Parts: sequence; C-alpha cells; structure tokens
Amino acid sequence: MTEGRIEFQHVWKKFRRGEFHDSLRDVVPDLASRFFRRKQEDALDHREFWAVRDVSFSVRPGEALGIIGPNGAGKSTILKLLTGILHPTAGRCGIRGRVGALIEIAGGFHQDLTGGENIYLQGSIRGLKRREISARFDDIVAFSELGPFIDTPVKRYSSGMNARLGFAIAAHMDPDVLVVDEVLAVGDFRFQRKAFERLSEMRGGIPVVLVSHQLERVAALCTDCILLDRGAIVMRGTPEECISHYVMNGLRAGEPQMDASLPFHLHSLEVEPKRALRSGEWFTAVLRGVVREPPPSHLRIGMRVRALHNAQKVFAFDVSRLNPLLSRPGPFEATVELQANVGNGYFSVESSVWDATRRREAGSGPHALIRVSEPELVGNTNLHPRVRVRMISEDLVVAGPELAPEADTAVLDHRS
Amino acid sequence: MSEPTPLSASSSSAGEDIDDAWLPPADRRQSLLQDYREIFGRELWEHRGLLIELVRRDIRVRYKQAVMGFAWAVLVPTLVVVAGALVRVAMAYVGGRRLEFQEVAGMALKALPWSFFTGALNFGTNSLTVNSNLVTKIYFPREILPLAATLAQSFDSSIGLGVMLLVSMVLGVHFGATMIWVPVLALCLVLFTAGVTLVTSCGNLFFRDVKYLVQVFVTFGIFFTPVLFEPEMFGPLGARLMMLNPLAPILEGLRLSTVGGHNLLEPLVVTTRHGAVLAWTPWYLAYTAVWAMVLFMGGLIVFHRAEPKFAEYV
Repeated sequence: MTEGRIEFQHVWKKFRRGEFHDSLRDVVPDLASRFFRRKQEDALDHREFWAVRDVSFSVRPGEALGIIGPNGAGKSTILKLLTGILHPTAGRCGIRGRVGALIEIAGGFHQDLTGGENIYLQGSIRGLKRREISARFDDIVAFSELGPFIDTPVKRYSSGMNARLGFAIAAHMDPDVLVVDEVLAVGDFRFQRKAFERLSEMRGGIPVVLVSHQLERVAALCTDCILLDRGAIVMRGTPEECISHYVMNGLRAGEPQMDASLPFHLHSLEVEPKRALRSGEWFTAVLRGVVREPPPSHLRIGMRVRALHNAQKVFAFDVSRLNPLLSRPGPFEATVELQANVGNGYFSVESSVWDATRRREAGSGPHALIRVSEPELVGNTNLHPRVRVRMISEDLVVAGPELAPEADTAVLDHRS
Repeated sequence: MSEPTPLSASSSSAGEDIDDAWLPPADRRQSLLQDYREIFGRELWEHRGLLIELVRRDIRVRYKQAVMGFAWAVLVPTLVVVAGALVRVAMAYVGGRRLEFQEVAGMALKALPWSFFTGALNFGTNSLTVNSNLVTKIYFPREILPLAATLAQSFDSSIGLGVMLLVSMVLGVHFGATMIWVPVLALCLVLFTAGVTLVTSCGNLFFRDVKYLVQVFVTFGIFFTPVLFEPEMFGPLGARLMMLNPLAPILEGLRLSTVGGHNLLEPLVVTTRHGAVLAWTPWYLAYTAVWAMVLFMGGLIVFHRAEPKFAEYV
C-alpha cells in the first residue's frame, strides 16, 4: 500500500460558457482563427472564464480537508481535476495511491445489468481485480441492504436502492486516498447515519477531501477546510473558522432586504456586553426600528440565534406578537435579554420580519455576532451539567455508598 | 476583477519542502515513445481487468431481453449471405450459367468479417457518448471503451465463424492446410477495425456528425468492398482498384485460403471472360497488414492526445 497523498499546486482551470460549436458555421471560423493565430493558453476570450483560480493545497495521511462554498464556486471541478477526469489549464495536481471516490456513482450503473453484475463492473472501473471484488461482494450486498434484489436489473431499482448500492460499492474499495462529493445525503435517515459512520471509519490514516453543502458534516469530519468563491480560495483554516466566515458572508449578502412595503423597518441590532461571553451568561440585544403602519397579525418581528460553526439554528422566538406597543406606528427600541445557554463558538443573533401564514421570512433585518468561550463546552446548547464524582473503594461498596467520606467527592457545577 | 495570469508550476513549487516528483508535469507535451509507453503500460496493461470486464458487459448486455439471444450473432451474417445469394442467383441467371455452391460458401465467409467490421464500427463509434456518465464521473483509460466494443463484436463473430465453418463442412466444403492464414487475417481485421473505431469514437465525442457519416459509410461501403462479389469480375484494372480498399485483401484472403485452398504467399491468376486477372499477390497481404498497423497505432495516438478534453466536450 502506497502512502496516499493529495497534491494541488497553483491549479488554474478554464471553462467555456454556452455551446462549443453550434454548427459548421461556427466551426470553420473557429478552426481558421486557431490556425492563423496561436492562441495564448492563459488568455480568455469573451466566452471563457476561470472555474478554478490558483488553488493550492496538500493533504497528507490523517488529514481531512473540507471544501465548502456556494454553488458554482468550483468545488466539484476541483474533485474532477484531482481524480484526473479533467486536466488543469495551468499548474499541477494529482493523487498518489488508489483513489476511493465516494461520488454519486449510481448514474454510472448499466441499467440492463443486475446489481451484482454492476458491482463487478464498477469495481473493475475503480481498478480492483475480479478476485478482490469477489472477496468484498458479500460485504457490499450486506451494506447496501439489497439482499434478494441483487440479481434484479438495476433499471428496476428505486432511486434509494440505486443510491445505496452506489455508496456500498464506493465504500468497500480500500482506497489509499478518499475523495467524497455530496454522497452523504443518500437513502433514508438511518442509512445516512450508517454511511456517515462508514466514512468516519474509512478516514482513519488516509488523506481525505470532502466536498459538501452539509456544513455540520464538514465540521464533524474535517481537520482543515478551505472556503471557495468563484474558483478562488477565500479562506483557509479550521472548519469552524471557514464555516463561520461562509455563513456570515452569506448573511451579509442577504442583508439589505427590508422591503418598503413591510409595516416594520429594522435598522440596528446591538449586543451588550461587547466581549466574549461565558456559557450561561446573560446578554442584551437591543433592536431599533420603526413601525410604519399597524401591522397585520401574521407579520411579526422575529429573532433567532444561529451557530456559525455548523450553520444550525439554535433558537428562534417572536418579539412582537403579544406586544401591543409594536402595533402602534413610530420608532421603537426593543431590549431583549437572553441567556447564552450555548457551547463554545460564534453565534449570530439575527432579526427579521416573519410571515407566519407563509412560514417564511418577509424581510431580513440586521444581525450581530456573539462569541462564547469558557468553560469548555461543545454543542449548540448548554444543558448545565452538574457532575458529582465519588470515589468508592472496594470495602465501601460493601458498606454502601452512603458511607463515603465527603473528602472523596468532587462536584463540577456549570450552573454557578 | 482583473484576470490574473497563471504562474508556471515549476517556479511556484520551488523552495517548498514537498516531494512532488510523482505529480504529472505541468507541461504535458511528450514524445511519441513516451505516449506509447503510457498507453500500453500504464493504461492498457494495468487496466486489462477492466477491459475484460467491459467486454463481458458488452456481450451480456447486447442480447439481454432478446428472445433470440446469441442466435443473432449468426443470424445477422446469415441475412447478408441470403441477400448476397439472391444477387448471385440473379447474376448467374442473367449470365446464363449455374450458381456454384463454392461461390455461396465463399461469400458466406466474407459476409462474416464484413458484419464484424460494420457491427464494431457502429458500437465502437458510440461507445464514448453512450457511456458519457462514466466518462464524466470516474477516471479510467478511455481507450478501453472502443477497444471493448471491438472485442465484444469479435466474440460475436467467432460464434458466427464457428457455426459457418461447421455448416460448410457438413455441406462438403473441403478445408486444407492453408487455413492457417485465417488467424493472421483475423488479427489484421481486428487491428484495423480497432484503429478505425478509436478515431471515429473520439471524433463522435466532439462532433456527433461522425455517427451519421459512419452510417452512410457502412451502408454504401458494401458496394466498394468485395463481399457479395469477387474483384476479378471487374477485369484486370477493376480488380486492382477494388483491392486498394484495405478490407478487400482481408476478405479475399479469407475466401481464397479457406474455400479456395490457396496459399497466400503465392500469387494467383484467374482466367475470366475479361482475360487473365491477378486475383492475389503476397503484396496484398503486406498492404493490408501495413494499413492495420498504421491505423491501430495512429488511432491510439490520436485518441490519447484528445483524451484530456473528453470530459469537457462529451
């Protein structure tokens, strides 16, 4: 087994928009111009764009790199460049060792072949010998939970069966290097958890690249992360840092969306104290705005708290519903006291105008950022654990735990 | 945003402490020899298991959900032979002579390689576009797809050949020692066909016109290839012109070495109504062998050099 490595060195990739050649009418002038003037590799013509710009990274065994970013950022292109499906316009990239590509492979199945025949076909496409596939065959079938359907042509499978078989094949290849693209969302909830566990098992000791929009998966699996936007690396750091940056930027992009037709206008949100909070500490959020006209009952001012490290909503509540003052026109200031019952990390406090009938945001208001540090608690909520440990010696067990001397008791209290 | 200029990889990686000798070089231009070493070593030999698996798949899939199954492998050339026999009966009738069984047997043996060629060309030309879901998702040497299509078709044709030989023998056609030329000619045919499909499959990936062009070519090719007739029917000059078609020496060689019992290392002169016609010379064998080698090796290079663009254009 070779020591797997993933290497990406100053890679650039150029793509073209639109059809390549619509008809002979386009081909002839194109070929002619190519013949008469040597085209510069690094120059762009009006229809070309850089899908990947100067991206570099290197992943060693034991490291797992998450790649996140909005649609069209170039994430999947990077994976295709890595696996050799695409070739870079400039720069060098490659993988050393056998690649296990956990990509959506159900599309590569041959519809007329049975599930079992497709296992052999996909296995050999991934570089396994027939004997090696036979050795894994039963495990793959068991993992995919297809059992009696393995001799049925794939065209009769449901989409869930397809996806499960695809994942099962990809997950049994004993790769030197693992490349994962958005496959963790296959099958039902239980299978997703199984897939995630399998992936966690596989990632030990080999380099991994994971591309996903499921930010909490990236946060849970990866050791490093890069944030991409329009083909370039915007940020490089821990998954928590990159996800926070990504989510904050996403919020900022969607900020100025207070429609003038709404009965409310929210213009500022401030948080006190302006320092890192202790978990469980009280803080104040001051929201200022204007009530333009008496609001209809389904439009309300909402506030929510979101964890930035995995983009999950922690808490949301209604500011205005039972507040008769907020139905009168005029400027207002709402002071909200909140207890930071959350684990360590960055959280955003966001305000919005909420449409209760349509169950969606009618307008997003300003937001503020809080940071919670110490004590070291992980997670989106703080359930205020109180831990009491008592040392029990053999004879005390016999005598009963009540007899333990007070000196051997330690209490860790997160409520104070 | 101003468009930045790509840096050259060699200057940028200098000074960093990483072993990257295994990475493919930024400059992908290389000599023919390196290309061939890559094609035969790193790609074909290492992925021979995949080639076998894909051939197996093509064979299995071809006759799935078909009641006749493998009978089709025999049926298709048989239909060509029946059509040819009708033409020959008509020709014999017009010419006022009897149709020899020998002629029909010879034609049957030529119909087989012809249907191999057209079948492989059809399957091979489409092999990349039909499997575009594989081409855009997983890396493997793409040469394997058209090559597998060609090999799967030769499996079909071998069944047909076996049946054909058996039937001929039952019907009393004598086969002599000159049969040893059959494998040589078959090899030439497979290499030639593989070379053509490598080029057409690759062409079809970029321009779907190729598919239609191939159709037309196959439909009308039978008029310019001695399948249903023999070149010597056209007189001395006509025979020579007809034998310029690289498939003609293969088909004629097959007929002469089996039904004709002729050793292909010796020339053969046939007397027809138009006088003495040179039906065979060993040069024909050399001619077709050169075609096969050049097309196969050339096809591999064309394919290999176009391959980096496949996933983007398919």
